[in-house]
Amino acid sequence: MNTILSLLRPRILSTINSLRSNNAKSNWSRIFMYGALGIVFWTGTFIIFYRVLFYFQSVQDFGNILAMKLISMLIMTFFTLLLFSNIINCLSHLYLSQDLPLLHSLPISSKDIFFSRWLISTFDSSWMIIAFSLPVFLSYGLIYKGGIIFYIIFLVAIIFMCLIASALSSILVLFGAILLPAGRIRTILIILGVIMVLILIFLLRLTRPEQLVNPDSFASVVLYLNSMQTPNSPLLPTTWITDAIKAALNDEVKSCLFNIALSGTCAFMLIFITNIIAQSAYFMGFSKSQTTPQRLFAPIKYRYYNWESLFNFLPRESKAFAVKEIRTFFRDSAQWPQLFLMAALITVYLYNFSVLPLDKSPIKTIYLQNLFSFLNIGLAAFVLTAIAARFVFPAVSMEGEAFWIVQAAPVSTKNFLWIKFFLYYISLIILAEVLVIVSNFLLRVSPFMMVLSTITIFCLVPAVVGMAIGLGAVYADFKSENPAQIVTSFGGLLFMVLCFCLIAFVIILEAGPVYYIFMANLRGQNISLLQIIWSTVSFCFAFFLCLLAIFYPMYLGEKKLRIR
Amino acid sequence: MIELHELTKDYGTTIAVNKLSLNVAVGEIYGFIGPNGAGKTTTIRLMGGILAPTSGNIIIGGLDMAKKPVEGKKMIGFVPDRPFLYEKLTGMEFLRFSADLYDVKRDTFSQKAQNLLQQFALWDWADELIEAYSNGMKQRLIIASALLHDPRILIIDEPMVGLDPAAVHMVKDILKELAANQTTIFISTHTLSIAEDLCHRIGLIHKGTLLAQGTLDELKHIAKLGEARLEEVFLTIIKENTFI
Repeated sequence: MNTILSLLRPRILSTINSLRSNNAKSNWSRIFMYGALGIVFWTGTFIIFYRVLFYFQSVQDFGNILAMKLISMLIMTFFTLLLFSNIINCLSHLYLSQDLPLLHSLPISSKDIFFSRWLISTFDSSWMIIAFSLPVFLSYGLIYKGGIIFYIIFLVAIIFMCLIASALSSILVLFGAILLPAGRIRTILIILGVIMVLILIFLLRLTRPEQLVNPDSFASVVLYLNSMQTPNSPLLPTTWITDAIKAALNDEVKSCLFNIALSGTCAFMLIFITNIIAQSAYFMGFSKSQTTPQRLFAPIKYRYYNWESLFNFLPRESKAFAVKEIRTFFRDSAQWPQLFLMAALITVYLYNFSVLPLDKSPIKTIYLQNLFSFLNIGLAAFVLTAIAARFVFPAVSMEGEAFWIVQAAPVSTKNFLWIKFFLYYISLIILAEVLVIVSNFLLRVSPFMMVLSTITIFCLVPAVVGMAIGLGAVYADFKSENPAQIVTSFGGLLFMVLCFCLIAFVIILEAGPVYYIFMANLRGQNISLLQIIWSTVSFCFAFFLCLLAIFYPMYLGEKKLRIR
Repeated sequence: MIELHELTKDYGTTIAVNKLSLNVAVGEIYGFIGPNGAGKTTTIRLMGGILAPTSGNIIIGGLDMAKKPVEGKKMIGFVPDRPFLYEKLTGMEFLRFSADLYDVKRDTFSQKAQNLLQQFALWDWADELIEAYSNGMKQRLIIASALLHDPRILIIDEPMVGLDPAAVHMVKDILKELAANQTTIFISTHTLSIAEDLCHRIGLIHKGTLLAQGTLDELKHIAKLGEARLEEVFLTIIKENTFI
């Protein structure tokens, strides 16, 4: 036990030390920002669930069934999330962490290493689920007037669920790592996971839930509600956990204790089995994970057609960075699932516009189409920000420890950052313009709105990319094991907040002039001089904001990298 | 060829390099030795343009690195102590990347890259991703890429780390040959035997300050040692710490 505690100590001490580092002031602002975001999300979840459950309570018969069905759906969702996140975390903590070779060289049994790492992995995978299930079940407790016993039972049940999910995941990972190197399993699992999510998104979207508001389809809703009353399999741990929580809500002590006991014994038995398997399988798998990685797909070589020949028109240093960036990006299998997700996001986005029931709306269609088109500028810019946050913001940090190559090369920091800027700007401007133009075609908007959307996006894209590259350089982390994750850092959050502010400002600045110009066109009237002046000032100010958003963060980024 | 004037790097909590001044002539191999944390790597990183000095000047080939860093870097071949590279590029692709940055002539690149890869026993691995290379292979690739643009100055931090004896022997020969062809070489190392074998002059740094510099004989004289190995000279100077 002492050994396990010693093995956990570096993790605990690292967390404490990171809080008392030299930059204490920025640490506190970071904690404040994350804390505020967490509280907003937590409170939002609580309000939504409280209102939904309150509404359910007002619906006779169905209300209670729906509330209970919601618990089992939530437990099932949490359990699936836990399984997936545990598998990924187990692979990282048990097989891929950089400190593992050192740990295995120490005079410690691999069983102890496994158990300490399993504990860390379980904590990392579960804390968020526990934290964000609290407001959900707090709202249940308040609506159903559950006593202190309900909250204790709920907490114990959720902890047992986390332990069961973690133990099951680690058993899967232990067997998987014997068959395949851990790095390869992670890639395959992430890809499979993303494909599953994509299928779910498409299935959900293609069922067209908006049709449920149509009274003609009401019969299917009744059928669905009937199907809700069918019980879940009694062999599943999720059923025991759901039943324990439901029983605690309804003050059924015996059923509650029985189900909690079932969940608890299952959790501890699985942990015991995991440890037995780990004794013989963990080191074997770890050893396999240390082998040289092979490419998932063999390279296809064409003598005359390659990235170099494609970018020959560029200056040499720009070409060098462009080719390097594209190659490293597409060869990094961790990027592929993100690309699939992005493609799905865009497809669903455009599909939504194609199925909008504009003709059935009581509001005048031409007005609605153009209103949507205007809002679409903001929406497209938000989608763009999300993409930039994932791919552009980490672009400087992705250089990693190899950043010395750039520093030692005869390329100025300024050029390096601008080369990165243009690389991402070109791909994102094409994407954003296609998104806006296609959705505008689907909406059949007026030529004025088409031109306005195209120009606004044309100005917003470089602003978002400039902020992503600039702030990405200011908050660069060249030592991160997973640079793609730095978007969840303080700098990443700041980037997103600033982007949202910029987009909101630009949209607000344009809203007034656009309304006057559009209505004047619609009514065949002229625009007054005051409106012309107002519109010009608004558009100029929006343009100035975009310029500021491009150049100032780039300047800050360059300064930060130069002063290192 | 290399001039450092009152070079200082203050990290806030520690002064890694303190008013360091030295000169290295054309074709000279200058060895920079010192205990761990003495400021060797910081000095090397300052010279390579990777760090900005707190004060002082670095003149490379007559160019002030603070004013003309890009032109200065064109003359330098830089080899860091740890072989971090772009893991998702192949060895050949990395060399092409370096060639583009250092403006190596397109028509000579392929032949030069092939020669270097063969010389460093990496030709069979040229089309493999760097992530599959061992540390020693990565170190050899970095040295090969540093030589690709025929630098006038070679700055190397711990050149032999991770290299097998054959590679160590080969690198030593290459460095001697380069120096004979008027390439200036600045080496930081812990391996005193390498400094002894290779270097025309040796500088000894401790706690950011240059304690002594000169040929091996001059250092022995400074340390008041007769016939002694560099190791004894090193230990005496570090122990006395009074040769400033």
